[in-house]
Amino acid sequence: MLITSEQKEHQRLAREFTEEHIIPIAAEYDRKGEFPEFIVEEGRKAGLLSMGIPKEFGGLGLDSVTQAIILEELGRGCAGLATAFSVNELGYYAPLIAGTDEQKKLYFTSVVEGSLSSFALTEPSAGSDVRGARTTARKVGDEYILNGSKCFITNGAYAKMLTIFALTDPSKGLKGLSAFIVKGGSPGLMIPKHENKLGIRSSNTVELVLQDLHVPANQLLGKEGDGMKIAMTSLDMARPMVGAQSVGIAQRALDECLKYLGEKFSDPRKIGQATQFKLADMRIGIEAARQTVYHALSVKDAGLPYSVEAAIAKTLGSDTAMRVSKDALALLGAYGYSDDSVVEKLVRDAKIQQLYEGTNQVQRIVIAAQMMAAIQPKVAAAKAGR
Amino acid sequence: MSYLLTEEQQLIRNNARDFAKEHLEPFAFELDKTGRFPAQTIEHMAQHDLLSWFLPEEFGGAEVGYLSYVIGVEELSRASAAVAAILVSHASAAYAINRWGSEQQKQQCLPMLARGEKLAALAITESGPAVGEGPKAVIATKQGAGFVLNGEKTFVANAGEAGVYVVVACTDPALGSKGLAAFLVHAIGGLQVGPKKRMMGLRGRPTADVTFNNVPAELLGSPGAGPSICAELLSILAIAEAAQTVGVTSAALEHAAKYSQQRVQFGRPIGAFEAIQTMLAEMATNCHVARCALYHAASLVECDASFSIEAAMVKMFSQRLGMNSLIDAVQIEGGYGYSEEMIMAKLFRDVSGTTILESPFEFPEQLIAACIG
Repeated sequence: MLITSEQKEHQRLAREFTEEHIIPIAAEYDRKGEFPEFIVEEGRKAGLLSMGIPKEFGGLGLDSVTQAIILEELGRGCAGLATAFSVNELGYYAPLIAGTDEQKKLYFTSVVEGSLSSFALTEPSAGSDVRGARTTARKVGDEYILNGSKCFITNGAYAKMLTIFALTDPSKGLKGLSAFIVKGGSPGLMIPKHENKLGIRSSNTVELVLQDLHVPANQLLGKEGDGMKIAMTSLDMARPMVGAQSVGIAQRALDECLKYLGEKFSDPRKIGQATQFKLADMRIGIEAARQTVYHALSVKDAGLPYSVEAAIAKTLGSDTAMRVSKDALALLGAYGYSDDSVVEKLVRDAKIQQLYEGTNQVQRIVIAAQMMAAIQPKVAAAKAGR
Repeated sequence: MSYLLTEEQQLIRNNARDFAKEHLEPFAFELDKTGRFPAQTIEHMAQHDLLSWFLPEEFGGAEVGYLSYVIGVEELSRASAAVAAILVSHASAAYAINRWGSEQQKQQCLPMLARGEKLAALAITESGPAVGEGPKAVIATKQGAGFVLNGEKTFVANAGEAGVYVVVACTDPALGSKGLAAFLVHAIGGLQVGPKKRMMGLRGRPTADVTFNNVPAELLGSPGAGPSICAELLSILAIAEAAQTVGVTSAALEHAAKYSQQRVQFGRPIGAFEAIQTMLAEMATNCHVARCALYHAASLVECDASFSIEAAMVKMFSQRLGMNSLIDAVQIEGGYGYSEEMIMAKLFRDVSGTTILESPFEFPEQLIAACIG
């Protein structure tokens, strides 16, 4: 599909933002493993915090494809910082899906005014399998009291608004899971640990401990027990965005190969066919992944079911980022392996894309499940036909 | 050639494993974090004859076969790929001196390399499109009875710590990569080592650019044999690097397999899922095949047979093995595998380094195809 001239303009602005504010600082914060907090204010000024927040709440109200176009550009600059922005979006999807006007106002105003949001579902015993969740929310009067712990939480130490999932009725399993709006810095919300990660090191990832954390009852999103549905709908929305960031990583890896070859060879005809075909394969993967992301989000924007398309976009995008960055490393040799080059960072950053917002194995479960459901009627139809 | 390891080879594996447990494992993590050259460990290795391997006894070597050395590199790599990488540069340079050096060169260099009094380095990679072809290519010019070198090598492992360098240089700029030969160089004035590079992994092995400014050099081997010597040296290096890849990959496989038995999701260990079993089985199979091919190539070196195709095959296969396996191994361990507090992230960073080609534009595929055509 072709992108509109308006989307092209957003792409141009995002590219400028990336060149000006992200690429110059990416290596430094990757090395330090620190989140450059000032990027949040730069992001606010450029509208990057509120891309998906409706205009009536002060956001840009962009369609999903445009958001993906922007995130691809950010991912091209630094997947760590792109993650800070994409998880900020993931945080506010929950009120967008299930919030009352009051809740939306509370959450969105904070983001529009320049604060990050966050999304806390994962727990030590609940990774791919959300049924392992142990965090509880007990209703006492007009409050809920949350207890438990969450891990690998992006933006956790900086977010002013967090979407946190907890069991209001542990006896019901996942049907007892509920979603809450929690304000950052609330008493009882503790951050015992910052993660030191292989990649996306400039993003903030923390462990959260909830100890008698009081949350007003009017900050419950939807009804008690709506948590799983809200979480899964949020993740459906986030997955193509991971695909988009990943396409950005892959595109950067290819760009770096071309730059390197240009410096090494004055005559491109001396670049062997094996290398040229490798570059062509990179390009093929990038084009396919990008179009798959656009397609999944076009289906979403058209109001149609898109869970499978979202899973495909996330898986193809992240697998492509991993493959292309790995091949770029092989092509650049020792130079690509040193921090004289960005390529070693791309390889480290690409790896997490296959893991977070649902591992690529979970995506395959989603994709396969739909086909398995379709087999039964088809077998019946085939039999009837004969 | 036997398809099973001899008792001696098994003993060498056990000894190397014991050494790695005692001297490498406890500090491999710290070495990765600080990136400081492990001088004390190198001393320990010398004391345990782990620097002298295949060198003849008359020069203070352990005189074990090349396959034993490869097994040793594999075992050390399981615990610390960085330390194994220091050894590989050292031993590959020593291999060149032992194989092509004059009696005098051998007597002068090998005993101190075997005892670890000096470390050796191999300098091949240049910034140009191929070795001998860029504006900074190292050129060897005849001067009196010997040569002088001018130019720059990049990403030289053991740079700065080495007292002896084996340098691949071009004797005739008009010939480019066809005019290559190997030279013996002592680290003296005129040889300038640039700042230490920060690498993705193999941290602790020093890596830097080395600039040669009229540095005296001695030709290794007879005049005219340069290209074949350089080709064999690359093959030797390819085999040793594959040993590192196999070592790191088997450490990752072992760790991931154990993790998959412990981590419970959906009511059972994740290792009970076919998706995870498939990944583990693929890693284990590829690792086994790579190890067989590796030992076969090393056996050919040992019995003085031609091994260039086999070395290229091992290189090609282990390149794919290394990264692909670690991508899956981190995947199995999820967020924990991605944490720098756990070993898997380090193995991921290390394995990429063991598969880096010395000259990325010489595809092993080309050599293999040329030989089977």
